[in-house]
Amino acid sequence: MGNPKGFLEVGRKNPGYRPAEERVKDYNEVETHLSEADLKKQASRCMDCGIPFCHGCGCPVSNVIPEWNDLVYKGFWKEALDILRSTNNFPEFTGRICPALCEASCTVGLNGDAVTIRQIELEIIEKGYKEGYIKPEPPAVRTGKRIAVIGSGPAGLAAADQLNKSGHSVTVFERDLNVGGLLRYGIPDFKLDKKVVQRRVDLMVAEGVTFETGVDVGTDLSAKYLTNRFDAICITTGAKAPRDLKTAGRELEGVHFAMEFLWQQNCRVCGQVFEGENITAKGKKVLVIGGGDTGSDCVGTSNRHGAKAVTQIEIMPEPPETRHPGTPWPLWPYQKRTSSSHKEGCTRMWNIATKSIEGENGKVKRVNAIKVEWELGPTGAPLKMKEIPGSEFVIEADLVLLAMGFTGPEQGGIISQLGLELDQRSNVKVNADWMTSKPGVFAAGDVASGASLVVRAIAAGRKMAENVDKYLGNNK
Amino acid sequence: MGISTLRSYRGAQIFEAVGLAKDFIDDYFTGTASRINGIGVAEVAREAEMRYKRAYAPAPGVPHLLDAGGQYHFRLGEEKHLWTPETITKLQFATRNNDMKMYKEYAKYINEQAEHLCTLRGLFKFKKAAQPVPIEEVEPASEIMKHFVTGAMSFGSISKEAHETIAIAMNRIGGMSNSGEGGEDPERYIRLPNGDSKCSAVKQIASGRFGVTSEYLASARELQIKIAQGAKPGEGGQLPGHKVDKFVAKVRHSTPGVTLISPPPHHDIYSIEDLAQLIYDLKCSNTDARISVKLVSEVGVGTVAAGVSKGHADMVLISGHDGGTGASPLTSIKHAGLPWELGLAETQQTLVLNYLRDRIRVQADGQMKTGRDIVIGALLGAEEFGFGTTTLVVLGCVMMRKCHSNTCPVGVATQDPELRKRFAGQPEHLINFFRMIAEEAREIMAELGIRKFDDLVGRSDLLEMNKAIDFWKARNLDFSAVFKRPDNPNLPVRRTKAQDHGIDKAYDTVNILPKVQDAIENKKKVTLELPIHNVDRTVGTITSYHVAKKYGNAGLPEDTLTIKFKGSAGQSFGAFLSHGMTFELEGESNDYLGKGLSGGKIIVRPPVNASYNPSENIIVGNVLLYGATDGKIFIYGRAGERFAIRNSGVTAVVEGLGDHGCE
Repeated sequence: MGNPKGFLEVGRKNPGYRPAEERVKDYNEVETHLSEADLKKQASRCMDCGIPFCHGCGCPVSNVIPEWNDLVYKGFWKEALDILRSTNNFPEFTGRICPALCEASCTVGLNGDAVTIRQIELEIIEKGYKEGYIKPEPPAVRTGKRIAVIGSGPAGLAAADQLNKSGHSVTVFERDLNVGGLLRYGIPDFKLDKKVVQRRVDLMVAEGVTFETGVDVGTDLSAKYLTNRFDAICITTGAKAPRDLKTAGRELEGVHFAMEFLWQQNCRVCGQVFEGENITAKGKKVLVIGGGDTGSDCVGTSNRHGAKAVTQIEIMPEPPETRHPGTPWPLWPYQKRTSSSHKEGCTRMWNIATKSIEGENGKVKRVNAIKVEWELGPTGAPLKMKEIPGSEFVIEADLVLLAMGFTGPEQGGIISQLGLELDQRSNVKVNADWMTSKPGVFAAGDVASGASLVVRAIAAGRKMAENVDKYLGNNK
Repeated sequence: MGISTLRSYRGAQIFEAVGLAKDFIDDYFTGTASRINGIGVAEVAREAEMRYKRAYAPAPGVPHLLDAGGQYHFRLGEEKHLWTPETITKLQFATRNNDMKMYKEYAKYINEQAEHLCTLRGLFKFKKAAQPVPIEEVEPASEIMKHFVTGAMSFGSISKEAHETIAIAMNRIGGMSNSGEGGEDPERYIRLPNGDSKCSAVKQIASGRFGVTSEYLASARELQIKIAQGAKPGEGGQLPGHKVDKFVAKVRHSTPGVTLISPPPHHDIYSIEDLAQLIYDLKCSNTDARISVKLVSEVGVGTVAAGVSKGHADMVLISGHDGGTGASPLTSIKHAGLPWELGLAETQQTLVLNYLRDRIRVQADGQMKTGRDIVIGALLGAEEFGFGTTTLVVLGCVMMRKCHSNTCPVGVATQDPELRKRFAGQPEHLINFFRMIAEEAREIMAELGIRKFDDLVGRSDLLEMNKAIDFWKARNLDFSAVFKRPDNPNLPVRRTKAQDHGIDKAYDTVNILPKVQDAIENKKKVTLELPIHNVDRTVGTITSYHVAKKYGNAGLPEDTLTIKFKGSAGQSFGAFLSHGMTFELEGESNDYLGKGLSGGKIIVRPPVNASYNPSENIIVGNVLLYGATDGKIFIYGRAGERFAIRNSGVTAVVEGLGDHGCE
């Protein structure tokens, strides 16, 4: 900590976004970058806490944040990178799209604005690429053990990276044509440029990881094939089953799951041809049902398509503008979150339930909605909902996107072929060593814990890898 | 320890090993104390090998980094600490919301250390009682809370807001807060309109003697002599200059911006007899207060505690090594001091065996965090418990470990006015905390079948080692010496009677007080002439107490009470003498004349018929005016060594000095 009073002398500076009118015309990343000089100043705001809550309870991968803040402040970018890489395989992803749990638990944030940890992380890794500090580093020795990783989302990639670096031979199977899972097909380019994903995949290939894309394990390859050929199997297939809206009119044309919509756009951006109906928001009145991150991504994408109007509704109440007292520091705050996509233009409504969808000639035209009210718990969390009689209203829409979260892993496929035990929430059940009910088969990420953040997937992938390594007798 | 130079440490064998086997000690550290057995050569070798292997094992894909260690700054996967993000969050949430369930989660992490051994008591367990009692029969939490005090954290090291919040909370629950050694603003002695009091019940007297005035002493319920601090035995203390703002300086009678150092020794204590003298001085300075002595847990502390009991202290505090984290230099946090479990057990055993336990209470402190901690402390022999760090955490401390840099971001350990505004602690939080601790203690007492907290004291037979915790380095530990009780069951194991301080036979009580009521009550001028002998110690101090209690430091108008003594004055003549009191002594005086002088006036001259030349002869002893804050002193003759050390306001005229004058 070079400047003990940095947090008092320097204010937080956010990099901000490109102007909305400019950015909605393209799919390039919306967030700008802070200059090196600015970042050094921002790093000086770190207090080097005796107990760094960012590291100790905020960050799922336990990034050793105070140490790289100090190194950045002093200009030791390479050293900062070494420490960052020791806990996080993909800082270029989290540096862009992480909601920064670390910042929510930053001690400076207890009485002010948290340190810009995410920006500093991003700059450390980007500088690493730019300066050539990041280069292929294949393991010196191979163990001869073969590992199959099924699913190339953040959990699978993190596990593959860790296991490869431990000297195992890793093959990653991916159902889609390109690697990355939700990193590639879920998150829009304007938040995470797919070149960034590809840059990492290329690096992993150069380090010896094999990627087999377009292979649907369970269909194209049997479980038996995998168990015969690999010493361990890692299931990181995510929790992609979307929550459906069971209401009249669901079958109408123009009602889609958010992920179908986002998936198509990500294909277009990277030039991947796909089959099926082209879902576009161009010239349409778009209604996004669901107020979370996926919904927000639909808002941003719709505006880029050239939607006439975008409305986002959420059944839960509008959260407070600032941290709710029921989630005090250092907890992740219950508060309203407004994304860059929201700022590009959309109507947001809360306390709205969908009653039915109506259409004409088989095409969606409007959604019948009703206002609801919630009974709140002691911590401010909504507990029980009831509809407000007489508050029914109509939202005109010719594209309805369902972004109501995910119910869990897609059932069937490799999970049932392997006969893996599930937990109550239909996630694949794992023990303390991250092993499923079948010896030698491990699982991590959304498939084991339900849909969550990229950074949690990375953390889980790493922990699973450690246990796979142990299982293979590589526990030094 | 009496060691002041580095060279003196060599070969002095003042270190104690904790957790090393006897044969290992005999072979390699011959003569070193080691009381609980422990690891030997095999375990040392194994650990070295583990470290070696770890150093050379490839870490997947990352450059070889040195471990962060996590000794001073928490790092996941490194050195284990009891204060973690989780425990701090839970404790603060529990105490702010009076949430016993959350407190239990906090306490569980602290109490069950199987996965993260941090303390000796983490390896203890309670024996199963033959007959538990219903919890309703256990004495109420409000009674148990009276056994609680807060640690000595000075105003100056912590903020005004934090210091006063602690005092208010402790006064509300009938416990005691401790001023630390930074003096106290007399404003705080005035009760608030709502009935609260910001007055610290315990006033500490440490080697710096900052702000130790007659009013400060008179305002206390306990006067505590700090011999050393558990976390940094033998080191003294210091307050960096940037924390000494105008107000801190005023309260401490010092200069803003100047670093304040409390030296390792007290200049008036060089022997156990000197300590007894200081105990007597303080008792005279406030005859209604009890006197305590703060010692640190170290091998041999039992002997010192025995001396303290014989020296008529009412309470002895055994301070453990893991306290004082914020105030300690990095070098001391880890490797100085010993767990209170060891020092407390030794103290209890020594006092009991020597028939000294029944007249002194025993207190223990050092990272007391839960009800289990205090029950273990009681079983090992303590009646009272001090909470330092935990108190601060309840009030908002998040263990920044920036106490020394004045940048505490939660307004606890800072004097920066902007940062102080951030202080969010409330007395209620602390009261909640202490009540929850007491409730937890009650649950344990019920299981142990003990209804009264006092009946826990000294029942170390109810403790045993928790064999279920199977950590390879803990396997050879043997706590039987710690749990040992004296064979004679009839020996008193806790305080049952008061010390005899001899106040009713004191010179003031007999010769002065009866004759000066008019001066004290009505400010009438009174002049006395009295003989004095060298057995008359601490003359004038009890009278000063009565003046200070009534008038504070302002005392009486100048020369209201004049006493002309003739003869040879004993030690501490005119100690803490109040304003308006004038002592003229014809003759000579022993050591400590005018100790802590608080506005009084002392004149010493040789007998008129003296045959010697006063300017060439010492007529008053050593250590005059130590820690004096106000007053005048005129000596027609020379003084001994260490004259007017830590003087912060007395005008002195003397004809010559020994070494170290006015330091």
